[in-house]
Amino acid sequence: MSANALDLRGLRAGYGRYDVLRDVDLQVAPGEAVGLLGPNGAGKTTLLRAVMGLVKHRTGVISIAGTDVVRMPAHKIARGLAALVPEGRRLFVDQPIEDNLLLGALHLRRDKARVSELLESVYALFPVLRDVRNRPAGALSGGQQQMVAIGRMLMSDPTVLLLDEPSLGLAPIAIGEVAEALERLREEGRSILVVEQRVDLALRMCDRIYVLAGGEVALEEQARALGEDGRALIDAYLG
Amino acid sequence: MQVLLSGLAIGAIYGLVAMGFAIAFYVTRVINFAEGQLLMVGVMVAAWFARTGLDPWIAIVLGILAAAAVGAVTYLVAVRPVLAFDRFSFAWLVSTLGVALILENGAALVWGPTSRSFPALLTGTSVHVGSATLTLQEVVTIGVAIAAAIGFELYRRRTLFGKLGMAIAHDPEMATALGANTVLVATAAFALAGAFAGLAGVLIGPITYSNPYLGDTYGIAGFVALMIGGTSRPAAAMAGGLLLGILGEAANKLIDTQASDWFPFVVVVVMLLVLPEGLLSLAAPFRRAVRRARAPAGATG
Repeated sequence: MSANALDLRGLRAGYGRYDVLRDVDLQVAPGEAVGLLGPNGAGKTTLLRAVMGLVKHRTGVISIAGTDVVRMPAHKIARGLAALVPEGRRLFVDQPIEDNLLLGALHLRRDKARVSELLESVYALFPVLRDVRNRPAGALSGGQQQMVAIGRMLMSDPTVLLLDEPSLGLAPIAIGEVAEALERLREEGRSILVVEQRVDLALRMCDRIYVLAGGEVALEEQARALGEDGRALIDAYLG
Repeated sequence: MQVLLSGLAIGAIYGLVAMGFAIAFYVTRVINFAEGQLLMVGVMVAAWFARTGLDPWIAIVLGILAAAAVGAVTYLVAVRPVLAFDRFSFAWLVSTLGVALILENGAALVWGPTSRSFPALLTGTSVHVGSATLTLQEVVTIGVAIAAAIGFELYRRRTLFGKLGMAIAHDPEMATALGANTVLVATAAFALAGAFAGLAGVLIGPITYSNPYLGDTYGIAGFVALMIGGTSRPAAAMAGGLLLGILGEAANKLIDTQASDWFPFVVVVVMLLVLPEGLLSLAAPFRRAVRRARAPAGATG
């Protein structure tokens, strides 16, 4: 049996002396899209940051495709193991879109053919970006900026994709475009862990759902078992 | 004309030191207060190697490399540990000042507190430009400084490593999450900043000779030039240096022969009151207009 794309076991992590995550077990199988839901302050963003090595790890296992990344520096995790679309996108707004994308492929810079191939695949996923590739990222609409952030993540050719609230602050049309792109990535067999406040969107995009509450896993369930609108889930955990 | 060209020559030195300040600050948001002492390291090491009988040009290259190496060590020993303890602290202010004192007094202990000779390769030749006369050394200084500023700006804008520096300056954590080794890049930035100071040192050395206390004068002048040019773009610091040099020479001519000793402080006070973000802030409205014109119509969430 192949290793999980992402495997967290007994994970404790936090800031300073404060533990945000407490004994979290979470798995993402290869080719699986997993949604992470929970109220504000539940530790969803901290979990993604812990996987990327950006938050102090206390105990437990973080493994990506069988590689233990607990003691690995963040910049090495980012070199093909995991990639993050952070909340708020955090693009380099003064730099052109294509430069933002190329910075995602930093570790592949010597393999120019691979970088060109990845760049083409991003433009195939988001054709609108090709036409505006020389514009500063800060000059784009929120939806287009989210496309750049997703494209930048894909440029590192990672084993597992991590997305933090990809729909946050976007107009309904832009949310539809971003959700469509994520569904295409899921169909391509990418391993995805997405934090999402909108339950309907998470249920549409994901195979399996985890609910995090107070830094602990409160529920793990197949998405289809939670209904189309997830009303019972919202009432029980997110109301 | 003489004021303008002599001002450019000394301003080029201030500009190189200011660029050193700016390069380190650009990537790390840290002002290395030992930058002036890195100039002194360049001068002292080059002069020492030249005195041992080594070819002066090789001695000059070794002086620049020594300043770069000390710059890198300054980051690893005096900046990185305090930022690792608290990312948002300003303890680097004290630690880099400490490095400045150690370098200055260390150099005085090793080579003595008095001035020593420096290879005078180009000072003997005069160059006439209109009614003004410069030494070949001064002409080369202006040329090297402008070439260094243009070269750095091209490197910053056109190479992936330069763009990475811009990304780290903007959001170091996000750059790390993209695979950037920010410690390595910051160390390289401090080394490059040291090389700029060392370059300034070997260019001014034939005029000032080698002296362990050179760093104070040029460190302060370089910092003032940085304030004039602003910290947003290292090449703007060079513009600040050139302007400071011309203003200082003009003050010497028009006010008093020693006016350039105090005049920079008047300039920096005026700059901080009128243009606190530096000369480049004058171009900000133009840049905003260009950005608005480039933005897609109806860009919303």
